[in-house]
Amino acid sequence: MTNKKEKCGRDKKMQGRLSVWLAKHGLVHRSLGFDYQGIETLQIKPEDWHSIAVILYVYGYNYLRSQCAYDVAPGGLLASVYHLTRIEYGVDQPEEVCIKVFAPRSNPRIPSVFWVWKSSDFQERESYDMLGISYENHPRLKRILMPESWIGWPLRKDYIAPNFYEIQDTH
Amino acid sequence: MNLSAIEKDLMIVNMGPHHPSMHGVLRLIVTLDGEDVVDCEPILGYLHRGMEKIAENRTIIQYLPYVTHWDYLATMFTEAITVNGPEQLGNIQVPKRASYIRVIMLELSRIASHLLWLGPFMADIGAQTPFFYIFRERELVYDLFEATTGMRIMHNYFRIRGVAADLPYGWLDKCLDFYDYFLTRIVEYKKLITRNPIFLERVERIGITASGIKWDLRKVDHHECYDEFDWEIQWQKEGDSLARYLVRISEMTESIKIIQQALEGISGGPYENLKIQCFDRERDPEWNDFEYRFISKKPSPTFELPIQELYARMEAPKGELGIFLIGDQSSFPWRWKIRPPGFINLQILPQLVKRMKLDDIMTILGSIDIIMGEVDR
Repeated sequence: MTNKKEKCGRDKKMQGRLSVWLAKHGLVHRSLGFDYQGIETLQIKPEDWHSIAVILYVYGYNYLRSQCAYDVAPGGLLASVYHLTRIEYGVDQPEEVCIKVFAPRSNPRIPSVFWVWKSSDFQERESYDMLGISYENHPRLKRILMPESWIGWPLRKDYIAPNFYEIQDTH
Repeated sequence: MNLSAIEKDLMIVNMGPHHPSMHGVLRLIVTLDGEDVVDCEPILGYLHRGMEKIAENRTIIQYLPYVTHWDYLATMFTEAITVNGPEQLGNIQVPKRASYIRVIMLELSRIASHLLWLGPFMADIGAQTPFFYIFRERELVYDLFEATTGMRIMHNYFRIRGVAADLPYGWLDKCLDFYDYFLTRIVEYKKLITRNPIFLERVERIGITASGIKWDLRKVDHHECYDEFDWEIQWQKEGDSLARYLVRISEMTESIKIIQQALEGISGGPYENLKIQCFDRERDPEWNDFEYRFISKKPSPTFELPIQELYARMEAPKGELGIFLIGDQSSFPWRWKIRPPGFINLQILPQLVKRMKLDDIMTILGSIDIIMGEVDR
């Protein structure tokens, strides 16, 4: 089983099980260590993501738990994060993995995984809406939470709320 | 909308954001062929309040009053997940009594949420009476909550190291009375609804999804102290609305059994862990720094989130509620992503309503159990 509850520092380049499996099959990725709960984190390039997504689905990760996006630093890259799990009958401590795909801020395009995991439909639309990451091959990529005519990407760190003239120092 | 609408003379109808039942503000654009539904497109965003952006500027304590507004029917779950994330990041142990109190509150909230799902579900189908019955039970739950937390629904009760206040004297006995009363009520609901032929007509084989896996995060993830109780995961093999109804009714029964076991087994002791080690370091900026505030008070010591990320999740009554939390080395999170179960479950609505009749849309929408507060955040 993958190392659960193992808190390793980021200086130790430990490779999780999935990372070893991907490396064995010659798939380009980078292991980002483990997050705080011991879930393996991998970084995949945007060009390879659509093929690796299918490979992961075939490997067994049939449940896309959550897809979110964040920006790494104001002015830096934008990251799209996917949490995948394998749902099985009566399992305890299921296998999980977290995939991050980084995209440059000037041209944030990441292939959509809608055709692999259907639950990414609204979630990718929300990441597009809030951060501006455009997902290629998504059937209906348009704004979902903000009104359709909104300009700007609200959740970016360098977003300025329009027509908001109070002191924007909210404490 | 779509090209086939023009060719085949289909009708596009807007089921506007206002609804007679309590789903919230959800707009559905439905393409109809006579009475059969061809396509349905949900439009969200009417209740978007920017919860995720707000979270980036609040400490956890300051953010707790906001979280109850995501899923305003099962408020304890939103608070629990908000508090579980930083607790896992800081490795904070919650004392036994606090854990039991949390479980009791969570299960009461689960019962309350399922009750308030049942009412509008039956009202959508056409039976108005259970709507009043569920509010009768929900009032009792509200009374229990108000005695402990001070508020009927937007309780600001959970804290990072435990709960905010202990249970008042006599609360456990009142809760046991509620347990006895509620068991008779569930029997009444089952007698009234489950074998009612009109209900079965409207609900059987409507809105079939894939189901049939015993998956409950309370058992899979070993939350709080759910392992100490004896209960079963409820699941059904078929995936129609009737199955969803049966699962929720039986979940209510299991919840009340868990509450009874917790009430018997609750231990004495502290209700919060007063020893946190993880304080925000006091940083005194220079007078001409960007951060210096000339007119301001010194903030009290707050919990500092390390630069780690975490996906905390729990089994809310509507599905899996999750928080993806990226900490910054300050008291504010860098990213607080809410994974609402209603948002994810709403995605399958267009698939479920294809080839159904117009009146089945409300049944299916009701059985998916969404609440717009968390869908839109």
